[in-house]
Amino acid sequence: MSALYAGLAEIFEVDESEISPAAELAAFNWDSLAIISTLALVDEVHGVLLDGQALAKCETVADIEALVAKETA
Amino acid sequence: MLTARIKAIAGHLPEGRLTNDALAARFPDWSADKILEKTGIAERRIAADGETALDLAEGAARALLAKEGLDPAEIDFLLLCTQTPDYVLPTGACLLQARLGLPTSAGALDFNLGCSGFVYGLSLAKALIESGQAKRVLLVTADTYSKLLDPDDQSVRTLFGDGAAATLVEAVEADAPLIDPVVFGTDGKGGEHLMVRRGGFREPSAGGDMVLRMDGPAVMAFTLGHVPKAVDGLLQRTGRTMEEHDLFVFHQANGFILERLRRKLAIAPERFVIDMREVGNTVSSTIPLALAPLLQAAGAPRGAPRRAMLVGFGVGLSWAAASVVI
Repeated sequence: MSALYAGLAEIFEVDESEISPAAELAAFNWDSLAIISTLALVDEVHGVLLDGQALAKCETVADIEALVAKETA
Repeated sequence: MLTARIKAIAGHLPEGRLTNDALAARFPDWSADKILEKTGIAERRIAADGETALDLAEGAARALLAKEGLDPAEIDFLLLCTQTPDYVLPTGACLLQARLGLPTSAGALDFNLGCSGFVYGLSLAKALIESGQAKRVLLVTADTYSKLLDPDDQSVRTLFGDGAAATLVEAVEADAPLIDPVVFGTDGKGGEHLMVRRGGFREPSAGGDMVLRMDGPAVMAFTLGHVPKAVDGLLQRTGRTMEEHDLFVFHQANGFILERLRRKLAIAPERFVIDMREVGNTVSSTIPLALAPLLQAAGAPRGAPRRAMLVGFGVGLSWAAASVVI
């Protein structure tokens, strides 16, 4: 998941060390631009397009990873 | 053989400007620099009160006729692509025929498409010309989306600008087609992702509620999913390769989405046109406005022809792709 973490750190404009499964997205300004950026990131890293509404409902980084795992399963 | 070709393009923009500084003042959580970085847009042109898409369309058409030294009597078909018409009826293209002094023998029609509209219009013009029904088609794209935006909706106000473009498509003799067969796509299930709900007859407007709503993540997913497939479909339909295309002019939705598409399709930056910094997303006019400076100036010596791939995608959901010689 390191490419995902690096990408999320870039989107949230924070150091990669701050991205962990338990990290709360609300703390990183989880707005529509961040959601769109994450959707594009997951497409680039994992080759899957997430559902925007499902992604918007994610609360932690682990939730995003679970959504990706579900889509790539 | 008789083939249609893009002869010339002229744009017309309203005088009003919406800068990133003005947006940052209204939406303090985004700085002007961040808006530029994320959208690739420095300013948008905004129509004045009482200035409509038809006014912008007339401006673009007049600029084109003047640039080409063309007599309006030589135009035998007018296509107007707009989603912000002056009236429910009559047809805007009919009013534009009169304003421009086109012959009464000319055909004229409107078609309602957004960001895919220019490529659809090219296909219609090609069909009219190559079937022998018209010789010179004036294809005008014009919209004033600013009049549909919620002043408090940052996600759309940072992107959309008003504008128009007029494109002359004419019949010429050539060894091979100069506009290849166009490929299309439609998915009305995504209609609600970009929608002005009120103001039609299903949900009449109660005044002041004709507002564009955009589901940004859904539109992003649509774009990243369908545009690469449309490109593949075009290559299969035409038997051409990516390498044969000197230029790629996609709908200028915003800088972020374009850069993602460019990377996904592995297109070299120098071939991938991004030209929206001073105008924003002008809906059906983004492709002709970006294409205009790439066409050879009237009267200039003709250099080697270049092949461009044009891809429009957006509201509908609707998309279309074309391979053209410019």
